[in-house]
Amino acid sequence: MKYVNLKSLVASAVMALSLSSVTAISADAGESKFACEPGETYIMNVMVSGHPYWVPVFQGYKQAGEAMGCKVIFSGTPDYDITKQIASFEQDLAKRPAGILLHPMNADPFIEPINRAIEGGTTVVTFAADSPKSNRVSYITSDNLAEAKYAADEIAGLMDHKGKFAVLENPGQSNHDLRITAFLSYMEKHYPNMKLVGRQATNQDATKAYTSVSSMLQAHPDLGALWIPEAGSAEGAVQAVLEAKAKVIIMHADISPVTREHIKAGNIHQALSPNQGMQGYMGFMLTFMAKHPDLIDPFNDYKRTGFNPMGVPFVDNGFAVVTKANADDFDLGAYMKNRSAN
Amino acid sequence: MSNAVDSGHRLAHEMGFISRLRRIAAMRETALVLIILALFIAMSFASPYFLTWLNMRAMAMAFAVEGIVVVGMCVLLISGGIDLSVGSIVTFSMVLAGWLFLQGVDPWTASAIAIVACAAVGAAMGYCVTKIGLHHFIVSLAFMVIFRGVCLLITQGRPLGLFTLPAEFKFIGQGSIGAIPVVIILFFVIVVAFDFLLRRSTVFRKVFYTGSNEKAAAYSGIRTKKVIFLSTVLCSTMCGIAGVIYMARFSSAPPYFGLGMELNVIAAVVIGGASLQGGTGTILGAILGVILLSVVTSSLALLDVSSYWQDIIRGSILLIAVIFDHYMNKKKAAS
Repeated sequence: MKYVNLKSLVASAVMALSLSSVTAISADAGESKFACEPGETYIMNVMVSGHPYWVPVFQGYKQAGEAMGCKVIFSGTPDYDITKQIASFEQDLAKRPAGILLHPMNADPFIEPINRAIEGGTTVVTFAADSPKSNRVSYITSDNLAEAKYAADEIAGLMDHKGKFAVLENPGQSNHDLRITAFLSYMEKHYPNMKLVGRQATNQDATKAYTSVSSMLQAHPDLGALWIPEAGSAEGAVQAVLEAKAKVIIMHADISPVTREHIKAGNIHQALSPNQGMQGYMGFMLTFMAKHPDLIDPFNDYKRTGFNPMGVPFVDNGFAVVTKANADDFDLGAYMKNRSAN
Repeated sequence: MSNAVDSGHRLAHEMGFISRLRRIAAMRETALVLIILALFIAMSFASPYFLTWLNMRAMAMAFAVEGIVVVGMCVLLISGGIDLSVGSIVTFSMVLAGWLFLQGVDPWTASAIAIVACAAVGAAMGYCVTKIGLHHFIVSLAFMVIFRGVCLLITQGRPLGLFTLPAEFKFIGQGSIGAIPVVIILFFVIVVAFDFLLRRSTVFRKVFYTGSNEKAAAYSGIRTKKVIFLSTVLCSTMCGIAGVIYMARFSSAPPYFGLGMELNVIAAVVIGGASLQGGTGTILGAILGVILLSVVTSSLALLDVSSYWQDIIRGSILLIAVIFDHYMNKKKAAS
């Protein structure tokens, strides 16, 4: 497995190991503060809860939570619907959890609910998508700018720095927006002979992506590459490319069982998969720490200003490049064998 | 003699009381209230969080704004129509008001324009139905698609960030009077007003007559096309009001808002006793339908039941309600 931003990943791992060591040492002493009180509950709330992306994230969340004797719950809405996700979030709050690791579908609608949750004593950390104007304590995600830069360099390199490319997008979801805007500006700045010929919003919908890419291929039979910010649209895009018998380099972020098969078959060039396990694991740690700010007495003005001393504005969980060679390591079915989804 | 008259009066009074009780017991609303009460009692034992203010607030906030759309849909269904475009029109209201605000228009004026625009959309739909003679289902389906496209066009596919909305405007979506959120107060006022009008006003009685039998209503002098037209406008206007409240609540106007809202709204109205054939239904019943769905969703969430079950259970409740209606209609026709 080829990790691109090893530095941040190592930093995350060191942090996790340090915390685990502290837990172990303190546990020996019988007075660990790195553990939950009986009944202390942490929730992970998402939209489109059936999406396979969440499965490894929740596994990481659960592994960290269970190691510390905490109760963890997977929650959210199966729909792509902001009102339903907010309703599920508010329902979670009714259970008075210690903290929620939240993937907000849209940034601004969550400002008020997040702030109310924090006022009510539930800490909130966002992951994979953010609500930056809210008072959420931390945000964990892969470095979307680094992903976009990697994808641009890879595509331009394979196309000898010239040719036509297109992007699919999912406007409104912060991480997906960054993957696209950063990719386009990097391409424009570093590869002036690469020409953008299509930009379609397909919103994680395979059917829309299929239609959009089919149309693009009609208009530009010489389309050379596609960059897609998520796996759902990539599933439709690859189908359109295969049916048109076109030669298009497809790269996308995230990974799904379908796109993994296409990578193995050589239909998709590469996928950039955020390290979901660490996203969940570190997401739990951040949420737990935010709930227990008394564990630290840092050298700063937190007492005067009242901010959460455990607040970390941003944590990079790293990402992996999935290729034909390592695609088997991303088999979710194999990973989940003998594991419980909840 | 006077004793006989007295006892006769008493008997008549008692008979009247008994028949009133029977009528109440036979009402859909009574059944819904009993089911909701039973759920409340069961859940108060099953989860320590159920009967808390936080949970009551969460449940009410989940249905309050959608409940305003339910009111409009209820009147339209009673008149014999249906509107599949409610989700798109709610979003259109949010997007139009939000876009106008970002162009420098005062948010109150922007909201008023958006509500009037939604009423105009309803008028266009009503025109297609009553003047051209198209079916509500097809017309609203077309408008659903058209106005989703309009929303995407206005926003260029991106949610409009309206964080800079003034605090006094956000108050209608995010504020509280005492402990009660303003959204819930608005919802309550609209529900009470329309429930009263639908039960007491002669104008609204025409909606029932039109929905029961359009031809018979027309022969009796009711301008049925006008009733259907105005019911369609009312439903879209309610969507406009709901959209503005949603905008104030979320400080945002996402173009993909309200996908599938029509199904929730129609399900609630049908569970509440309105017939898809028109002619029957009450606002109270429809709102009880929304509350029932919300209580079920909340209960399942508090019991940590997978969210996938929620759709199965909600769909099953809808199916049971429709089967019950079908059975009752057959019984009525036979008698």
